[in-house]
Amino acid sequence: MAELGVEVPGLALANPLLLASGVQGGTAAALHRVAASRCGGLVSKSIGPVAREIYPGPVCVEATDSVVLNAMGLPNPGVESFTEMMNENNFSKPMLVSIFGPDSQSVADIAKKMEAAGATALELNLSCPHSKPGSRALIIGQQPELIKEYISAVKQAVGIPVYAKLTPNTAQVSLEAGAALEAGADGVSLINTVSALEVDPYAGRPIIGNLLCGMSGPAIRPIAQRKVAEVALAMRRGEIPTAPILAMGGITTGLDVARFIMLGASAVQIGSALIYGDVDIFEEIENELTEFMDVQGYPNLESMRGIALDSMEGLN
Amino acid sequence: MTLATSPQTRKGDFDLQKLANICCERMATEFTKSGKILAPIPLPIMEIIHEAESVVTIWLQVPAELAAAYKPGQFFMCWNPYDAEGGMGRTNFNSEKPYSVGDIKIDRTGIDETTAADEGNVGNTLMGFTIKDLGRQSGELTRMSKGDWLALRGPFGTTFPTPTSGSTLVLVSGGIGSTPMHMMAREARNKLGNRVKIHAIMGFRNSSEAHYVPRMEGLCDSLTITTDDGTQGIHGYPTQPLEELLQGLDSDNCTLLTCGPEPMMKPVLEMAVTAGIDCYAAMERYLPCAIAVCGLCMVGNRLTCRQGPVMEGDWLLQQSDFGQHHG
Ligand SMILES: Cc1cc2nc3c(=O)[nH]c(=O)nc-3n(C[C@H](O)[C@H](O)[C@H](O)COP(=O)(O)OP(=O)(O)OC[C@H]3O[C@@H](n4cnc5c(N)ncnc54)[C@H](O)[C@@H]3O)c2cc1C
Ligand SMILES: Cc1cc2nc3c(=O)[nH]c(=O)nc-3n(C[C@H](O)[C@H](O)[C@H](O)COP(=O)(O)O)c2cc1C
Ligand code: FES
Repeated sequence: MAELGVEVPGLALANPLLLASGVQGGTAAALHRVAASRCGGLVSKSIGPVAREIYPGPVCVEATDSVVLNAMGLPNPGVESFTEMMNENNFSKPMLVSIFGPDSQSVADIAKKMEAAGATALELNLSCPHSKPGSRALIIGQQPELIKEYISAVKQAVGIPVYAKLTPNTAQVSLEAGAALEAGADGVSLINTVSALEVDPYAGRPIIGNLLCGMSGPAIRPIAQRKVAEVALAMRRGEIPTAPILAMGGITTGLDVARFIMLGASAVQIGSALIYGDVDIFEEIENELTEFMDVQGYPNLESMRGIALDSMEGLN
Repeated sequence: MTLATSPQTRKGDFDLQKLANICCERMATEFTKSGKILAPIPLPIMEIIHEAESVVTIWLQVPAELAAAYKPGQFFMCWNPYDAEGGMGRTNFNSEKPYSVGDIKIDRTGIDETTAADEGNVGNTLMGFTIKDLGRQSGELTRMSKGDWLALRGPFGTTFPTPTSGSTLVLVSGGIGSTPMHMMAREARNKLGNRVKIHAIMGFRNSSEAHYVPRMEGLCDSLTITTDDGTQGIHGYPTQPLEELLQGLDSDNCTLLTCGPEPMMKPVLEMAVTAGIDCYAAMERYLPCAIAVCGLCMVGNRLTCRQGPVMEGDWLLQQSDFGQHHG
């Protein structure tokens, strides 16, 4: 049977299937529940400097087939209460702790507290399209200079590995990936949600309480694949430092996982699929992936990693 | 005729029934495709009825097949798209909340009964949400008017076990927990006629908040009302008459269902478990997303929106976070 284990900085995973940040993972009870599934690891909800309440609803809906829209407003218990929770709990799976903050100093401060509470790796959420309520300004993840500032501040503050979570809402994601890796990031996670908007024609207004939203789910998978390939190819060509890629966007099946691994991903994250199959989806995906690899004769993930890039060498 | 987007800007001459028919068709298409309504679909309110002090029923026209698929205990997310306080960047409240269906009826007004059967004209199906003003969002809903939009998505969640012929149902509600209990009584009676015994206890704070009493009287073999202040029925909580009721019942083939505030449901379930009676509760927790993404609706190690709201009583009694008041 195919061997699914994979090691990336800070995380030794029994399989490459991580929970994506923001889906179910904000409280101890919810994280334990996901950990009890067949996932390989957890990514926490993005944790900020202080507790934040959820936005007015509707906060997350399946808008049409394969399209998930959300504007949760980064509801989270805040770093103090989350680290307290970490101290009181041991999770049965490795956890990447996702963090965000309004400025580089505050994120560095949160990172330090997470490390002290036992985090083995951090994911820096640079890319939420709605992280500044009411703000129409660019987000951090769209500005390579700011990405460098954030990553450098966090890398100076902690010794544990740091992943940069990138937004798809830019012209060339390899620029943002490059900025993060040059500033010392140990890996990149992509993609976050695609900036979106949906209007109900009868009500004559957006259907998400926050008005603007982020899109995820199966419909964004081809976009995510394009972005992951772009970063992986830039790494191959030596244009940006080589580092593990945690890929995500619309994964619902074992074949989807294979697609991302073939585009160079080390491991994947799964979020919206929990709407369809809840935490049981991890077992389904794991079984499908194993079966696929067995049939195709891939003994492990390494043997199929990046093979789809070979045909795209010349692409820019 | 004007079909303006916002109810506030509609002209006086717009045709509510025509608008309702169009929205209902739209909902039927979505329901056929997905088996539920995934994104909120706004429907115009057809009627809004005063039930009791701060309790109203909002009637919406829905596809007959949606009403038929709904199972007691399940819920819809209800959202007023023109919620006065809704909008970008506002936190600390939710403008979309879960509500169980309280009643379903067929409207045959305007139907020519002499030709209806031949034409297959069965009338319009209306689904009623009975809402008590308990706070910000429910208060807003109770103040809506005929013609206003109320958007629905659902149905979501688990249901009560289907009653079987020869069985006995004990239904215990507190306050607005009346809604799923009524739907259960209605379904059991419709399906099984007099082959099921239904005993209901309804608790209210006082007589002016008492609602659904005539509806339940027509469906139940026995109905006991309790009020906290003694202004109607028994002075006290539903647990008092329940004790007596359970003593006279054969625990085999008997099921107790309850819905209401957790501090009421806990002792009710304890009494049922002690009496050896199968019991289930419909939980009224805060359900921000209803689709298993926010993770903020945990009871024990379960998600209320997905593995509830109906849960087994013996399981609930083992959960340390069950039994307190929740918003
Ligand atoms: C599955 C399900 C079905 C539901 N069905 C119905 C229904 O048919 N009809 C209906 O009116 N409501 C129903 N509810 C409750 C409803 O979703 C709201 O929680 C409730 O209307 C209060 O919302 P709010 O925004 O007005 O109150 P908030 O402003 O959030 O709260 C105001 C105050 O009321 C208190 N409060 C809130 N809810 C309750 C409660 N259930 N019991 C006691 N105190 C409470 C809070 O603690 C707070 O102090 C249901 C809930 C669930 C989960
Ligand atoms: C409801 C919801 C909440 C999310 N919250 C966060 C978050 O807090 N931090 C973050 O980095 N990404 C967040 N995301 C983005 C996901 O982690 C992921 O990048 C994206 O949804 C694409 O993957 P998917 O299609 O598998 O969901 C959220 C996504 C959803 C659907
Ligand atoms: S209501 Fe969001 S997970 Fe249950």
